[in-house]
Amino acid sequence: MTRAFSSAPLGRALQAAAPFVLAVAIGAIVLAATGHEPLSVYRLMIVEAFGDERRIAATLTAATPLLLTGLAAAIAFRAGIFNVGAEGCFYLGGMAAAIVGYALSDWPGALSIPLALLAASLVGGVWLIGPGLLRARFGVDEVVTTLMLNFIAIDLTSWLVNGPLLARGSANSATPPIGASAELPRLLPPSTLHLGFLISLALVIGYGFWSRISVAGFRSRLVGLNPRFSRAVGIEPMRVFLSMMVASGVIGGLAGGIHTLGLVHRFVAGFSPGYGFTGVAIALLARNSAIGVALAAILFGALSSAGANIQLFSNVPIEIVEILQGAVMIFAVAQLGFGWARRRAAA
Amino acid sequence: MISDARVEVRLGARQLTRKFGSVVANDRVDFSVAPGTIHAVVGGNGAGKSTLMRILQGVDSPDAGSVILDDQPVRLTGPADAYARGIGMVHQEFMLAPPLTLLENLILAREPVVRGGLIDWRAAQAEADRLAKIAGVEIDWRRRVADSPVHVRQILEILRLLYRGADVLILDEPTAVLAPLQIDELLRLMRKLKAEGRTIVFISHKLEEVMSVADAITVMRAGRVVTSTTPDKTSREALTQAVIGDAALEPRVEPRARRPGAPVFVAHGLVGVDALGVKRLGPIDLDICSGEILGVAGVAGNGQDELVECAAGLAAPAAGEIAFAGEDMTRASTARFRAAGVGYLSADRAQEGLCLTASIRDNFVAGRERDPAFSRFGVLRLAAIAERAQRAMDRLSVRYGRLADPAGSLSGGNQQRLAFARELERDPKLLVAAQPTRGVDIGGTAFIHARIAALRDRGAAILLISESLDEILALSDRVVVLYNGRIVGKLGREEASVERVGRMMLGQEAA
Repeated sequence: MTRAFSSAPLGRALQAAAPFVLAVAIGAIVLAATGHEPLSVYRLMIVEAFGDERRIAATLTAATPLLLTGLAAAIAFRAGIFNVGAEGCFYLGGMAAAIVGYALSDWPGALSIPLALLAASLVGGVWLIGPGLLRARFGVDEVVTTLMLNFIAIDLTSWLVNGPLLARGSANSATPPIGASAELPRLLPPSTLHLGFLISLALVIGYGFWSRISVAGFRSRLVGLNPRFSRAVGIEPMRVFLSMMVASGVIGGLAGGIHTLGLVHRFVAGFSPGYGFTGVAIALLARNSAIGVALAAILFGALSSAGANIQLFSNVPIEIVEILQGAVMIFAVAQLGFGWARRRAAA
Repeated sequence: MISDARVEVRLGARQLTRKFGSVVANDRVDFSVAPGTIHAVVGGNGAGKSTLMRILQGVDSPDAGSVILDDQPVRLTGPADAYARGIGMVHQEFMLAPPLTLLENLILAREPVVRGGLIDWRAAQAEADRLAKIAGVEIDWRRRVADSPVHVRQILEILRLLYRGADVLILDEPTAVLAPLQIDELLRLMRKLKAEGRTIVFISHKLEEVMSVADAITVMRAGRVVTSTTPDKTSREALTQAVIGDAALEPRVEPRARRPGAPVFVAHGLVGVDALGVKRLGPIDLDICSGEILGVAGVAGNGQDELVECAAGLAAPAAGEIAFAGEDMTRASTARFRAAGVGYLSADRAQEGLCLTASIRDNFVAGRERDPAFSRFGVLRLAAIAERAQRAMDRLSVRYGRLADPAGSLSGGNQQRLAFARELERDPKLLVAAQPTRGVDIGGTAFIHARIAALRDRGAAILLISESLDEILALSDRVVVLYNGRIVGKLGREEASVERVGRMMLGQEAA
């Protein structure tokens, strides 16, 4: 126990970085075994992810949804709720923002953008009230309920986008594009980096302060550490469970809304390549800390933006990059064993 | 399987000593159980009975002296070793898998198998029926443990020991959880097993059942064997005297200076149930006035836990009403109890009294983070919290490194002071103090006692629950005694003697 809670900053940083280091080592083995030069491939990846302004912008664009899905997971995990429903919220929030952004095409962006993001957040939050109540009132395991709700959300939006909301004359499963005024402004044209990145980063920073100095952040941490103790001192764990579940859903929905307004500009089937689940890995890797979420989101963003380019410039297949991503996730989730045991012990 | 008739001591101990730090839990204990007898072990809380049983079962090992098996000193390597030598134990907390049936629980981990690794259910059922016949009980083996009443679970635990081939059965307070009729059934079962040639060691606080069923009785007090006797050579009176001893009283705190004020906490017809829904408390009537310490004496498991949960607002009573400061609080949440001015020192310091993984500062402020002194507009005033925490730690002489260190870094006594500091800072109208000095050394105990008395003198009502009779008598202005969930005695400070309260705790006298 003392080792796990070691307070030496260096030790903690090493512990947090361990999954990444292990994944890099495994990736090197895979690369060497398939006849590549690991060091040169890694150098190429670093260059592709951070080499110049354009590449950095691409990395940050890829990191934008992950900042918020990672945050959505972290805020729930911190309160002892293992919510894996951010993926579903992401779809629903993306769909809600697309509908509002299209319906308010003629409105100025100063109105339509906030309204679209508000709709996205609300849908995400409402979506998780059910699992939140079930957990708080009846102790129903939220892993099962939120995981299953993901499938419902994905299939529900998929049906909507193939039926009632399908853009006229479109062969693809997509809604009509949102109004140009509802698009989030680009930060560094011609790159696709958009205002959503700054909004997301600001929210993660805000979470950092919230978790350290707010009453609600204090309560949710105590409940996450020991619900029985929290109850005995007069905090109501059930209320914290519910509110943090809903907060997590709000952030997940907002992530989808920002993704629509900033990048995709409409809702399409297969809207997310698993951002919500990557968010779970990010929160685990980050141990729910704000700085950790930001760094891990950028790391995963870098892997995906570098991965897209790397096969253009080398004969390294993109699958290698995916193996690397997968390895980081596995090692991040290996920490789950620790967090899980503690959660069960506390419950 | 049945012991050789020539063996004199089937199970025992010779000059067995076990220390935990400076506490001597077993002090040169001599103990011997003849084969084919029922041997009762009697003693108060902390007398060393459980330590001795744990050692006899191989869970713990002695610092000096030895365990005796079949007249020979042996060294048990663990409970599996004890099992292999025919010794099995039924713990107070049953070790059963509730979702499985009784039959499945019986054979769990020792399943009869046929070729191919499948369980031989026919053999299992036959064995189960045979055991039930030996024991003379009717059991519906297809029922799930979760749906079975507590005495059936108890019988299942015993049959499982037989199934595993144990011929010495150690039963740790087997009747504590049972109703009177079920107790009779259990005692019948014990006699039956004895007639079959098995040896039974059982721990009990209930002297009438000890006198009725035991062949030999060993009384322990403060880690030592004080009496070894048989029922025909002793009496309930003599046993009671042996259990209580002539303990010298700890110095008492000063009695209350003023007359107590108005009732702060009033419970009427209070009934409490445990986690399994079994009634453990009540119905009782209880009131506590401001400016008095009400001590609740009783052997552990006589309803104290349920009383604490009801009084601290952790669990709603199964029946009856609770009023606090004139307001009905029967169904109120814990948070409302706290807000109304109820303080609570938990007996389970590690899990409920503190959050050991959170910092000292966080433990200090927990529950009051919304207080204007500690936050404004939802933002914590970290400097103010640190300052108040530091002052409170100094006032209670808590020895700590930094406020940011986890509470788990403190020693046990200092952890209790930290929990106490948090509750004192709330300035409670009622303090529910459950085992306030458990695991605290003598100096710390006197310190905490003085603080509790000082809180009373400032006008707070205090509900003191303790397994230590000395503590109850040292602090209380009034004493009530719980036995089988009922109040069997109410005594003023002057009437409450070790003798009288001790007798009532053992169900010997009603006042």
